[in-house]
Amino acid sequence: MPVLTRRRLLSGLAVAAAAPLALAGRPSLARPLDDVAARGRLRVAVYRDFPPFSFRKDGVLTGIDVDVADLIAKKLGVRLDCADQMAGETVSDDLRVAVWRGSLFGGEIADIMMHAPYDKEYGLRNPEAVLFAPYHQEGFALARNPARVPSAMLATLPDEPIAVERDSVPDFFLLGLQGGRLRNRLIHCRTPEAAMEKLLSGEASAVLAPQSQIEAALGPRAAEFPVTSVILPGMMASRWNIGLATKENARDLAYAVGDAITAMIEDGTMAAIFRRYGATHTPPPLVD
Amino acid sequence: MKRLVSKRLVSTFALAVAMTAAGMTAASAGGPTSEDLLKSATTTDSVLTYGMGPQAQRFSPLTDLNPDTVKKLVPVWSFSFGGEKQRGQEAQPIIYDGTIYVTGSYSRLYAVDARTGHKKWQYDHRLPDGIMPCCDVVNRGAAILGDKIYFATLDARLVALNRETGKVIWNKKLAEYKEGASNTAAPMIVDGKIITGNSGGEFGVVGMVEARDAETGELIWQRPTVEGNMGTLKGKDSTVTGTLNASWPGDLYKTGGGATWLGGTYDPETKSLFFGTGNPAPWNSHLRPGDNLYTASTLAINPDNGEIKWHYQTTPHDGWDFDGVNEFVSFDLKKDGKIIKAGGKADRNGFFYVIDRTTGKLINASPFVSKITWAKEIDLKTGRPVYNDDNRPGAPAEGEAHGAKGKSVFAAPAFLGAKNWMPMAYNPQTDLFYVPANEWGMDIWNEAITYKKGAAYLGAGFTIKPLYDDYIGALRAIDPKTGKIVWEYKNPAPLWGGVLTTAGNLVFTGTPEGFLKAFEAKTGKEVWKFQTGSGVVGSPVTWTMDGEQYVAVVSGWGGAVPLWGGDVAKLVKDINQGGSLWVFKLPKA
Repeated sequence: MPVLTRRRLLSGLAVAAAAPLALAGRPSLARPLDDVAARGRLRVAVYRDFPPFSFRKDGVLTGIDVDVADLIAKKLGVRLDCADQMAGETVSDDLRVAVWRGSLFGGEIADIMMHAPYDKEYGLRNPEAVLFAPYHQEGFALARNPARVPSAMLATLPDEPIAVERDSVPDFFLLGLQGGRLRNRLIHCRTPEAAMEKLLSGEASAVLAPQSQIEAALGPRAAEFPVTSVILPGMMASRWNIGLATKENARDLAYAVGDAITAMIEDGTMAAIFRRYGATHTPPPLVD
Repeated sequence: MKRLVSKRLVSTFALAVAMTAAGMTAASAGGPTSEDLLKSATTTDSVLTYGMGPQAQRFSPLTDLNPDTVKKLVPVWSFSFGGEKQRGQEAQPIIYDGTIYVTGSYSRLYAVDARTGHKKWQYDHRLPDGIMPCCDVVNRGAAILGDKIYFATLDARLVALNRETGKVIWNKKLAEYKEGASNTAAPMIVDGKIITGNSGGEFGVVGMVEARDAETGELIWQRPTVEGNMGTLKGKDSTVTGTLNASWPGDLYKTGGGATWLGGTYDPETKSLFFGTGNPAPWNSHLRPGDNLYTASTLAINPDNGEIKWHYQTTPHDGWDFDGVNEFVSFDLKKDGKIIKAGGKADRNGFFYVIDRTTGKLINASPFVSKITWAKEIDLKTGRPVYNDDNRPGAPAEGEAHGAKGKSVFAAPAFLGAKNWMPMAYNPQTDLFYVPANEWGMDIWNEAITYKKGAAYLGAGFTIKPLYDDYIGALRAIDPKTGKIVWEYKNPAPLWGGVLTTAGNLVFTGTPEGFLKAFEAKTGKEVWKFQTGSGVVGSPVTWTMDGEQYVAVVSGWGGAVPLWGGDVAKLVKDINQGGSLWVFKLPKA
């Protein structure tokens, strides 16, 4: 029985929730901590084409999640083996491919996956995975051209073109807002980054998207476009916690990685990594 | 031009020689021509097209096999697809000149000696790392023309190979797999053009029908299926599909769905391609008021230039994921002493439609499953469904608490459809359609908490539920004149394989339980079955060789049911995977 420090409590919430299943006698396929140490390598799944968290720059995988994964590997005293994975239809698909079943096309299962939601309800719906070690709280934000959109009040958004990532919560929110008042003014883009390009080029007057992605895309032009954190009334979560995922039987690995994450948050390393990519770190609340 | 003429001369010459040597055989060194493909419904010594004829009736004029002789139908050989990669085998074999060309899961193509089962060659398409096809890693079959055999791949490419050697001749990108595109359907060849649809409806792509030069793979025309998008012809913009913003708000038409993932059929008489289109995007119907043309529709398209001749929308403003990709099968409707050029479509939404294939006008629509909750009926005057409005899943943003389910409605059919991809058959001798149907419904609600690529998301939650304790699958014989169900065969597991019918008063289809079964076409009496060792979700074919009638089918359980099926997936979880081609024959005397 490990000592219940605050850190362990934090990283262990989801593990405890999944424990009955872990004891149900499924064969052990994941590589818990000892296996990772023996192999000298930590396999980490990150999302593909997902700036500022995980993306390729000159062919090299980089970003906030990659840097955090690198520090986790260093704490464990092993080499980082980072694999970028295409996003599936939902995170449940990503968890299946990354940490518990693997890809239908073969290849290795990752020891941990970055950027999984830390959400108890969602964890219960995905019993094959463990969601643990929240390291950031993300939320939606409005970036606007102040000359064309004078206020960040969503209810009074003017009749101006607004860019959103297609098939996203901001998309659904604005399509449905006030009986579809802005429905014909939305510019649907493949990614939040593409939406931000519309704002920077002047084609759009505002963008509604996850705050980190907005901030990173603004980069040196941040002063021109105010960014306001927003709650989307009537929608489900407007803020959510980001953590890691592993297979349900890998709890010792989850403890060790959780300790590494907590230390990074406490000593300011996490905030520094976010700053490096132009984003703002928001620590997740200690009690879910 | 010169090359084309000389090729035709060669094949005509070869045809003449071959006919002298072996009676009816169409085999030749030059390979099948476009003419041969058009006539393939009546050629009994080969299976040249997906659907056993361009109209895809899946009807064979052969009569050696019949309810009396079928008990003598015996396996001749079985061929394993090999490797560690199994999963769903949904292919229909192509048979030509003593060779069977069959595709396997994971974008593999095999050429096998039809007499011995000896493998001639195998092509394993190299799939890029990390592709995420929405459903299973299936492939539904190949196309043949001249010296080439063609198939489409999971990374959305079209590959032409030399059919003798298996060497790649060309390999063209159809769409961007990195944006979720994929391709699993059998291509179709009409007048030297190879015609394909697209997949990826779950990822916000726009449905597309494309024609390429079958010789070179060069693009000839493109026809987007969603209103407001521009088509192309010979590298230039051609015409806009429909009218911009007539049935879509804002710019949603640019990502409107309507994927043509099941491919199409062709009617040589009216010179029309028929393509079914998928469901619209985004999934929540309240966010896209309007009919959302031409999603969940059948389109008649001119094969020369890609222009739309007519459309018929089966589920206007779809809110249940009833995509309309199901095959449109041309047939002659004999009614009131007249023959009407019609087509039949068993839609995912539970209705069997009979449509005038020259005009797209609805003739009849009737349920082919026992429970349909989303519409009361199809109004034959307007051609539109009479909706049950309170059965439409709810709008998002109705103040649901974090963690709470939105309004849940029970809808039937389930989103996997009263009939999914598996092709039906039509028998012009019994005048009946044979439809592989499934009896299931679903609870559907707005999921208050879900996530997509690291962000909070609003998804739909589904639970699929069987409607009856003792069966889900039902092979049904439907009279297109009346819409009446003449007979049915009930199967415990959901049916997921194609159907074949013959002039010998037979209907063949496979079951997930592993059987290939034969039924009397007139009565539905089961007259033969064979256990193949894994679930059968492919489409059987029949042909003659050396004076004997053969039947072939692939075996290998998979497809969307085990991935998506909810309670149903539990029912079928003990079915073992496989991957093999089975060949049967009725021995002489």
